[in-house]
Amino acid sequence: MKSYLSVALLCAFLAVGCAHSQRSSSAVATQADISPKTVLLAADSGQQATDAQVKPKTQSVNDDENLDYAEDTFKEERVEIADPIEPFNRAMYHFNDKLYFWALKPVAQGYKVVVPEPARISVKNFFFNLGFPVRFLSCLLQADFSGAANEFGRFGINTIWGVGGLLDPSSNKELDLQKQETDLGQTLGVYGVGHGFYIVWPILGPSSPRDTVDIAGDYFLYPVSYVYPWYAGIGVRAYEIVNSTSLRIGDYESLKEAAIDPYIAMRDAYIQYRLKKVKARKARSLIFKAEETSAPAADTALPNK
Amino acid sequence: MASGLFGPPQTVSKEAGGLNTAIGYFYHEDTFKNDTDHLIRQNQIYSQVAYGAKNMWEIYGRIGVSDLKISDCFSSTNVLTTTSKLDFEENWKFFGTLGAKGFYPVNKIFGIGAFIQGTYHFSNYTDSVAGSNNGTPYVADLKIKNLWDINAGIGFQLTAPRDIKLYAGPYVYYSEAKASLDSNIPGIEYAAGNVSIRNKSIVGGFAGVDIPLFKGFHLNVEGQYAGRFSAGAAISYIY
Repeated sequence: MKSYLSVALLCAFLAVGCAHSQRSSSAVATQADISPKTVLLAADSGQQATDAQVKPKTQSVNDDENLDYAEDTFKEERVEIADPIEPFNRAMYHFNDKLYFWALKPVAQGYKVVVPEPARISVKNFFFNLGFPVRFLSCLLQADFSGAANEFGRFGINTIWGVGGLLDPSSNKELDLQKQETDLGQTLGVYGVGHGFYIVWPILGPSSPRDTVDIAGDYFLYPVSYVYPWYAGIGVRAYEIVNSTSLRIGDYESLKEAAIDPYIAMRDAYIQYRLKKVKARKARSLIFKAEETSAPAADTALPNK
Repeated sequence: MASGLFGPPQTVSKEAGGLNTAIGYFYHEDTFKNDTDHLIRQNQIYSQVAYGAKNMWEIYGRIGVSDLKISDCFSSTNVLTTTSKLDFEENWKFFGTLGAKGFYPVNKIFGIGAFIQGTYHFSNYTDSVAGSNNGTPYVADLKIKNLWDINAGIGFQLTAPRDIKLYAGPYVYYSEAKASLDSNIPGIEYAAGNVSIRNKSIVGGFAGVDIPLFKGFHLNVEGQYAGRFSAGAAISYIY
């Protein structure tokens, strides 16, 4: 039983990658919010919530033009995430932080020195291509049929002409089949399932009950999970994590350095990033697109009035 | 024996230099000789990665799988020996190919090139035969090991409108394998120990066409003749 538990934990670690989670590191920490449970989210998916965006709305009340501009362009939403187990989460955050700095980063740095970047990008492409089942299924469940077709086309072309996925001809300008970076957690979000509360899993990193379900789903749909024997599968996952970390060393460090309280910055970045992803996926869905325009998002995203 | 298409003498990669990848199918027939001649058939499916530049040179590698069928391999010359079957058959085994080609454009339409290509089959092909010898039943395995070939040729190329490339030329080749039966059966050609088998013809000719399709894809169709006719097609993508 003990060995099963340790294997499961190791699998989970390899699947997500401790504090330096792909999900969270992709999000940009914008401002160390002093409120522990509130995130300001720009309505425009390409924008970040910054103080600069807040000021026009509060300071230029006498200027009608500026006010209109502020209201139209910088619609802000207050994203609230409950954090009832903050002491536990903080402890796990520090554990994951040390795991990253003491184990994952040194290994990834060594790997980076030895393996040239084009080769590491090819490896990343290969593993991304292997993740086709979960992205394809997610697109179908989200009623994003053009996304599913795109994903299917990408998988076929990259597997056949991309040498098993090592190369990415689908992204070339002639073919221009865009990556569908979606997962089952976003699918649940599209269906209206909210985040719930914030939780930092040891080894796995930032998550929520909804995205924890996604971790399990991703495990069953990722072919590497079925590599036999089990330790070979873990080795493959470890290599994948080291390779992907080697391509983004510095992201997490930047987020951490820019933040007054890195825990809160990480939590805000994570929740903001996931909310934006869900909104973007809803906008692509044939069924949920209409709901998105008429109703607020499920993730407790409230207009900031 | 060739493993896959030779392709147009001129690389299809971008002039500035770049990769092209392909997936191909090749049906191959050839005659191998030992004491008697045997017809060999193979279906090969492969994936290719190539790098070429300046419209003049290219190097490429292939990895693929191939089956192998040798006709009348188990026929007996001894009336006291019977066999359950005549043909050797084995399914998909891996092979790898490396090749290089160079091209000299005489003018905008016509050009001449040369290539060299070698293939090695990593796995042994194995088939079993059962029967009886003088009333005594037997079962024996025949292994075809270390199957390899090398091809070299010259290609003449015409570039038609829409960048369609027509090409043809002669080639020479050599192919060899070791055949080993795990026990001596009277009347069956391959005895215990390694017996070399090699191609009967050494000269052949090839002709083909490379057609640009859409969005960077090309279709290449080619036929080769060296005592027997072989043909195949590949779809390549230019990066």
